[in-house]
This record gives sequence, C-alpha cells and structure tokens, in this order.
Amino acid sequence: MDLFVTLGINGLATGMLIFLLASGLTLIFGLMDVLNFAHGGLFIWGAYSGVWFYHLTDSFTVAIVTAIATGLVLGLIMEKVIVKPVYGNHIQQILITLGFMLVLQEVIKVVFGPHQIAVSPPAFLDGSFVVGDVVFIKYRLFIILLGLFVFIATSYLFSKTRIGLVVRAGVIDKEMVQSLGINIKLVFTAVFMLGSALAALSGVLHAPYSGVLYAEMGLEFSILAFIVVIIGGMGSFRGSLFAALLVGLTQAFMAYYVPALSLATNMLLMTAVLIFRPQGLFTAKA
Amino acid sequence: MNIRNVDKSTWIYLLIAGLLCVVPFFVTGRSMQFLLIQIFVFAIFAMSYDLLLGYTGIISFGHVMFFGIGAYSTAIVLDRFEATLGAVLLSVVIALVIAGVVSLIVGVLTLRLKSHFYAMLTLALAGLFLVAAEKWTPLTGGNDGFTFRLPPFLRDSLTMYFISLAALVLLFFGLRRLTYSPFGRVLMAIRENEKRTASLGFNVVYYKVMASVVSGLVASIAGVLYILSLRFVDTSVFATEVTIDVLLMTIIGGVGTLIGPIIGAGLVEFAHHWLSGLSDVHWIFERWIILYGTIYILVVIFFPLGIVGTIRAKFFNRPVKGITQKQTEEKPESA
Repeated sequence: MDLFVTLGINGLATGMLIFLLASGLTLIFGLMDVLNFAHGGLFIWGAYSGVWFYHLTDSFTVAIVTAIATGLVLGLIMEKVIVKPVYGNHIQQILITLGFMLVLQEVIKVVFGPHQIAVSPPAFLDGSFVVGDVVFIKYRLFIILLGLFVFIATSYLFSKTRIGLVVRAGVIDKEMVQSLGINIKLVFTAVFMLGSALAALSGVLHAPYSGVLYAEMGLEFSILAFIVVIIGGMGSFRGSLFAALLVGLTQAFMAYYVPALSLATNMLLMTAVLIFRPQGLFTAKA
Repeated sequence: MNIRNVDKSTWIYLLIAGLLCVVPFFVTGRSMQFLLIQIFVFAIFAMSYDLLLGYTGIISFGHVMFFGIGAYSTAIVLDRFEATLGAVLLSVVIALVIAGVVSLIVGVLTLRLKSHFYAMLTLALAGLFLVAAEKWTPLTGGNDGFTFRLPPFLRDSLTMYFISLAALVLLFFGLRRLTYSPFGRVLMAIRENEKRTASLGFNVVYYKVMASVVSGLVASIAGVLYILSLRFVDTSVFATEVTIDVLLMTIIGGVGTLIGPIIGAGLVEFAHHWLSGLSDVHWIFERWIILYGTIYILVVIFFPLGIVGTIRAKFFNRPVKGITQKQTEEKPESA
C-alpha cells in the first residue's frame, strides 16, 4: 500500500511538471494554431537561466522569477521574429521552430558550457516527512501544489475574466474582435509569451527534480510536450492536465513494475490514443 | 521509344550521371570516395522524403525508421548468414517487406487525419524502433552496435560507389516517371487542395497511403546502401537527428522537385564534412549546429522554394507551388 502511494506521488509530481510544460504548448497550439517545436528550447532556457541565478544567489524564488522572465523575453522575440512570418502554414511552422529549437539548444552550450550541471532542491524544500509508513518528499508535494495552482489560475484567467473572453473571441473571429477596437495582435503576442513563460517555469522546477541539466533535454521535452498535448486533445487545458498526469503515473508505475518497457511508455500511450481516439481524450470547445 | 521524344533535361541528367561515373578515377582519396557514397545514399533518402513532403504535402518526423529498418535488416542478415550475394538480396527483400508493412500500417492509421498526426505517429514509431534496437541486444548488439562481414565483391569501395550511383540514377528516373504519371499528378493535386481533389472523385487516403508506402520502400533501400558502405551498424541509424538532416537537405535543395533533394544532400554532407573538420580551427565550429538551425530559419523565411525552386521560378518562369503557400482551409468554422 505504501509503495502504491509513493509511486502515485512520484507519478503525480512528474505529471504536474509535464502539465506545466504542455499547458504552455496547448495555449500556443490550441489558441493560436501554431505548431511550436521550440517549446522544449524555452523549457531548457528557463531551467538553465533559473539554475544559474539559483547557484549565484542561493535563492530559489529568484530562480523562478528569472526563469519566468527568460520565458517572457524569449517568447516575445520568438513571436515577433520567428513565428510571425509563418502564421497559418503548419509545415513551415514545424520547420522554422525546429530550426529555432536547434539554435536555442546549441546556444545553451555556448553560454553555459556543454557539460551536465547538477542541481539540488533548495534547503526549505529538501528532505521529507513520514506519515505512517509513507515517505512524503517535500519537493514533490511542492510541485504538485504549484501545478494545481497554475491549472486553477490559468483556467480562471481564460474562462472567467475579460482577458480570457477577448482571447477566446479572437480565436473564433480575429477580424471581428479587431473591429471592436481591441489590438488582437498584442493579445496574441501576450498569449504566446504566457505559454513560453509556463514552459520556462516548468524547466526551472524540473531542474532540482531530476537533479541534472543538459542541453539535449530541449528536444526530448519538445517531443514529450507534443505527446501530452495530442493525448489530451489539442487546445484543451483539462485534457492536458489529465494526459500529463496519465503519462506521469504510467511512467512511475511502469518504471517500477515493467522497467524494460518504461522507455517506450509515452510512445505506446500516444500510439494507442492516435489509433482509438485520434482527436485526443478531451476535445477543446471552440 | 523514339529517341527524339526524350526530354532535354533527361539528357542533362544522364550527362551528369556519366560524369559522376568518371569522378572516382580522378578522386582517389578513400575519404572523398566515402563522402560521395554518403551523398548518393542520402540523396536517395532525401528524394524519398520529398515524395512525401514536397509532392504530397505530408510531413513525417520518423522517416528515419525506414532508413533504420533497411540498415538493420541488412546488417543482421549478413551477420547471421554466410556473406554472399544471395544474403544481400535476401536482406533487401526483408527490408522492403518490413518497410512496406510498417508504412502501410502508419499510413492507414493516420493519413485520414490532419497532417500533424502522421508526423507525430511516425515520430512515436521511430522512437519505438530506437528503443527496440537499444533493448533487443541479442539481435542488435544494443547501443554498441556490431560490425559484420561483407560479401567479397562489395569490399572494394569503388564497387560500392558504382552500386550507390546506379541505385541513385535508377531511383531518380523511376521516381521522376512516377511523379509525371497520373498517380503523381493526383499527389500534387492533393498537396494543392485536398478537398477539391476528393470532390473530383479521387480516393485521397488511398493516394496518400501509397505515397507513404513508396517513400518508405525507397528510404529502406537508402538504409541498406548506407550500412553496406559503413560495414557497421548501431542505434544512430534510428536517431531523430537523421530525420532533421534529411528535412534540411530537402528544403535547402527545393521541395517538390527531385533534383533539389539530391543537391541538398550534396551540400549538407559536404558542409558536415568541412565544418566538423574546422572544429580545430575555432571553438565556434564545434557548435556548428547553431549554423544549421540558423540556416533552417533563414531558408524558411527568405528562401522557401529552395535552390532548385528559386532557379526555376526566376529563370524558367515556372512557379513552384506547394507547401510554401498558406493553408486556408484548415481554419475552424466560426459558429
């Protein structure tokens, strides 16, 4: 039983990290119809810049703030320079963002060095406490809570506030919203920046969780984010959360019970979803 | 066939092929010959990719799996059996059968959906093949890979050169014939406007699946040739990086043309060769992938037709359409 709970918490924490990553992508894809393969590049830049400041100042809060700032800036640059010329053309989006992904990944090696970087959790989140027979690792609980908070906050932002209303209206009819006196380009840039910031946030949170950072993580996580978004259904927040938790939990249990297959877990999950329910588990409302 | 009816460009291509036959007698360095063989192999691979991307408008992220299937089939067969011509032919048949079945299954499953599903499922399957190659150690040697013996007549690199060149020329003319045929025209119609093609009565899914099968078969032949020239196999033949390379070759050379990917393969392979050699000169060349990524971005923004496409549009007044135009029909209907 306690083993089951431990594995469950591991899975939930991994899933929450994946959700943070995928929620950014689902925003960019679901709302703006941009296939962004550089999403993992934003993830890795968030992680590296955050960790650099974390090691410099020894404050994890500073690390998180830095990561979010990095995500916002990179998101702004990316939307203005890379994505703008290719709105509306999926194949060109894939090509150009893939190119940007490679650049981001290699520039990491130039700026921060090509070697792996070891990261440990901050002091106040290090360690664990024991309830009965079950060990709760503090950092994992912290991630689960933070992930839930982000889910609730973004859901609230997009379904209850005026900003969310504008964005959703803009997705349905761009010209109409524009003619009502709203600068829809600015709104979409902001959405892109928010998605990028979420990717960067998930990057810096992932660093102490996995304990190690390396530049090639970028492409791996780009692919992982896409897998989750496809399983969950493009553009659906709830779908992304559900799919991310599913992927996290499956990984945790597979790694323990069927280690031989654990590497293939994500691919198998996605293949199954594509075969039986190609539109994803949840479908977004227009 | 009346010799006068042969297209002028055919003569030019045959002339180039003839010139390439003479090249190895002047270029004697082994590494240079090997580089040329690599170019031929990747040119075949890139052509197969362009049949999907440039002619049919399907993007694949796992095209490397067919390449890897060809590579591993040949390596394993030559490792297990006596290294003879028969074994090589057997391995080609096995590679073609596996690649055909896999591409058929992937195509049937995803080509009825929107384009990116094919990209994702091929990516997933290529990932599965990579994991299988890593884990199925008794058969594949895992991460370390294994070397194998070639039949005596293939050991000479000059023979390998001519075999690769012959395969390239034959496949080039074969694929050219295919793209000029009614079948190929339907593929291009699908690329231009899928809904309209369907409404004209063509079974779009059938044509797309067939394109994916032909493309998979050709890619597996490239894999066979690659591994024969390398005499060593490891899991890198399933790496996503190879797909990214071949994507770059195709878009630099020119999508929607067959000669474009060949030129692209030549450029990218030469660039690989030189840039990795330059890493002793300055540290920035160790990070030559930056250059790679930058070229990607610049090509997509400023040069979307590629080399061949741009030349055609500029000098022959033949605008190449295709993946460069905006897709308008995918916009969601407003309620």
